[in-house]
Amino acid sequence: MSKKAKTLNWDLKETKNLFKEYLERGSEKKEIKLPEDTIKIDDLRRKETLNRIYKLVDNVIKKIYATGRPTIELPSRSSTNIIWDEENDLLLLGKQIMEKQFHSLTSVADITRLMRVLEIIDELLVKDIHATKREIYYTDVKLFADQKNSDKSIEDAATMLYTTRNATHIVAAPKGTCVGRLRIRDRNDIIDLEGLGSGGWTISPMLDNIEIIESDAEFILVIEKDAAMMRLAEARFWRKYPCILLTAQGVGNVAVRMFLKRLSKELNLPVFSLVDSDPYGHYIHSVYLRGSKRLSYESPFLATPNIKLLGVLTRDLDAYKIPNEVRIPMNKTDIKRTKDLLNEDFVKKNKKWESDLALALKLKVKAEIQAFSSHGFEFLTDHYIPEKLSTGDWI
Amino acid sequence: MRIFHKKDGGIIQLIGKDKMLEWPVELPLVFIEYIREKQLPTYGDNKIQKEVSDYLDEILKDVAIPRLISVLEGKNLDEIILALERIEELSKKNVDMAKPIQPYLNNLLNNPNKDIKKFAQNISENFQKAERKKELAKKRKIMREKENLFLEGKISGEEYVKTRKEYLTLKE
Repeated sequence: MSKKAKTLNWDLKETKNLFKEYLERGSEKKEIKLPEDTIKIDDLRRKETLNRIYKLVDNVIKKIYATGRPTIELPSRSSTNIIWDEENDLLLLGKQIMEKQFHSLTSVADITRLMRVLEIIDELLVKDIHATKREIYYTDVKLFADQKNSDKSIEDAATMLYTTRNATHIVAAPKGTCVGRLRIRDRNDIIDLEGLGSGGWTISPMLDNIEIIESDAEFILVIEKDAAMMRLAEARFWRKYPCILLTAQGVGNVAVRMFLKRLSKELNLPVFSLVDSDPYGHYIHSVYLRGSKRLSYESPFLATPNIKLLGVLTRDLDAYKIPNEVRIPMNKTDIKRTKDLLNEDFVKKNKKWESDLALALKLKVKAEIQAFSSHGFEFLTDHYIPEKLSTGDWI
Repeated sequence: MRIFHKKDGGIIQLIGKDKMLEWPVELPLVFIEYIREKQLPTYGDNKIQKEVSDYLDEILKDVAIPRLISVLEGKNLDEIILALERIEELSKKNVDMAKPIQPYLNNLLNNPNKDIKKFAQNISENFQKAERKKELAKKRKIMREKENLFLEGKISGEEYVKTRKEYLTLKE
C-alpha cells in the first residue's frame, strides 16, 4: 500500500480553495463581536497593564478611606458564568461579578495571595521581564502553600485586570514546538523555522517578543503527538506541502494556543488538527477550537474557531482499512467522555462531528495516529494527510 | 502582512512595513538583507522576485533609512550609541547594509562623546577595509589578465612587473 502511495501526487485542491477563501475574506472575519452578556478583555501592552494595576490599587485605597472595609470585584470564573457563544463558537465569561472582602475570614487568605500576585506582576512589568507560574509559587511558598493556589490567584489577577495572562508577564513553561515555512522575529533575532532541524523551534511563552515576519505556507497542521510530529518532521513534510507544523504534546498550553491563534489570524491560513481517534483527541481539538472552560475569560485570544478536524476520524478507520489488531476497544472512561462530548452544544451544532462521535460510541473502538504505520511508515505523510487535504475530508 | 502571488498559485506573505516602525533601529536593515539573501532566491519565478525586491526597496526608503537618520540626527546620546553599536556589528557582517550611514559619518567622527567617536571610527575602518578588499580584488583580476598576456608574449615583462608591483603595494 505504501508503494502505491509514493506514486500519487496530491494537489491539496480543497485546502488551497479554503486558503483562497480566507484571503478574500481578509480582515472582515478578524473582528470578533462578543455578545452583550459577556465580558470583554484586552491583550494589553506593558504600560497599559501597569496603569490598570495602579487604578485598581487606587480604588482599594479610596475604599479604605471611605469605609475602612475594602473589597475587590472581579468577574466570576465559576461554571455558571461560562457562556458558549454560538455565533463565534467560543466559550466566554459572563457578566456575573464576585466580591472579595479584605475583612472576611473566609476570603482573607485568598485575597492576600491575590494581592501578592498583583505585587509580583507589577515588579515583572516594571522590570520588563517574565516569570513562570512555578517561579511565582516559589516566591512565597508559605503563603501559597500549594501551586494550585498561586495558579488560581494568577488567573484571578488577570481576570481582575480584564486582560490576558500573557499581558501580566506570567507565562507557562515552554512546551510546544513548531517547524515549517515560517520566519519569525524574537526581539533582535530572525529565526528560520525551516532551518532548525527536525526538532524545530520551542514555542516561546514570551510571545510579546515574537513577531511573524515571513511565510509562504498554505496551511497549518496541529499535531497531538510528538511521535507523529517526528514522522512529519523527518519526512520534511513542509517541503513538499508548504505548511507550518505545530505540536503541543497533548492539550495546548496558553503559549501554544496563543501562537496558533496569531498565526491563523495574521496569515489567514487554514488550520487543521491531527489527533488520535479517541475522545481525548476530540477534546484536544475542541480546546483549540473554542477554548477551555478554565481560561474562558481569554478565549478570544486563545481559540482558533476556524480549525478543522482533519483526523483521525472514526470513519477513517474503515475508509483506510485500519486492521482490527491496531484498533483499541474503548474503556468505560472513553465511553463516558464520548457521551459527555456528544452532550456539548458545540458538538450538537456540528452534525459531521456529532455523527463521527456517535459512530465511535457505536463501534466502541479508538485508534492512535500511529495506527497508520500498519500500512508502512510513510503512509501518514505520503497518503493519508495529503489525500484528506486534497479532497476536503475534514470536520 | 503584504501578500505576493506566485505564478504557480503559491502565496508569500511579508510583514507590513508599518509594523517595523517600532523595531530596533537596525532591524529593518537586517530584515531586508535576510529576505534578499536567504528567501528571495527560493521564491522561484522572476516576477515575484522583482515584486518582493521592490517592496524591500520601499522598506529601505520609507522605514530603514528615515529611522536611522532620525536617531543619528537626534540628541539622545544613549540611542545614538546603541544604534551605532548595532550598525558597527552590521558593518562587520555586511558593509553594504551599513552604507546609509556614510553621509553622517564625518559629523559623528567629530562628536565630543568618546563612545560615539569610537564607534564611528570602527565603522569608518570597516568601510575602508571593505573598500580596500574591493580594490585589491580588482587589481588581482587585472594582474592575472596581464600575467596571461605576458605568458602569451603579448606584453612586455616591464608592463607585467608594473601591474604586479601595484597589486603587491596595495596588498601590503
